Amino acid sequence: MLFFRSEERVREWSKSRGTPVQPLVSMGQLWMLATTWYSTRLQETSRRPQPDEMCGIFADIGLTGDFWNPKSDTFG
Amino acid sequence: MQFDIQVKMTIYRHFAETGIGPSVKEVADRVGSDVKTVLDTYRRLCAQRLLVLEADGSSIRMASPFSGVPTQHVAESGGTRYFGNCAWDALGVIAALQRSGIVHSRCEQSGEPLRLEVGLDGPEASDWLFHCLVPAAKWWDDIVFT
Repeated sequence: MLFFRSEERVREWSKSRGTPVQPLVSMGQLWMLATTWYSTRLQETSRRPQPDEMCGIFADIGLTGDFWNPKSDTFG
Repeated sequence: MQFDIQVKMTIYRHFAETGIGPSVKEVADRVGSDVKTVLDTYRRLCAQRLLVLEADGSSIRMASPFSGVPTQHVAESGGTRYFGNCAWDALGVIAALQRSGIVHSRCEQSGEPLRLEVGLDGPEASDWLFHCLVPAAKWWDDIVFT
């Protein structure tokens, strides 16, 4: 889970490793993920989102498809 | 259950206060228990995916978003330097602390440094991107690689 300066840099990195370019996430989307996962982490009642919840969280910020499905057995 | 929460909070508060993870002995002392009992709790927290241990079975590698080892993903806030496990977790540190900070990292391809100011409402405008190679269903197959 890494930062890249641009989509072109992601493509260069992926080509050099022979790995697929996966769905790209904007900084705004990443902040939404960070706050959803961690904004209550220092509270006693905090817990990780469960798989069913994760699908909804990802969909709410526009991250859809098998790649973002924690229960998928096919990977795009 | 209440003891497990006490251990979990001791770990997370130590990270939040110091930027580094506590030793299992420090945790045991703080909760008024012994190392063996705390390690039993560690195993349950690992099963809940709240903790990842090093191969020695007691040192904390991850208490996400905090990393127990130095990484390239750094969050500075309140005069303390924190390591995130990944790009996501670097922003996650700021979110967990609920105070503003600065994330330092780099472009994995070019090495260009990233300096991102993050307020309580989120990061400054930025066209940098986040890329995850591993699909969500496989993240915990090898969470350190992910």
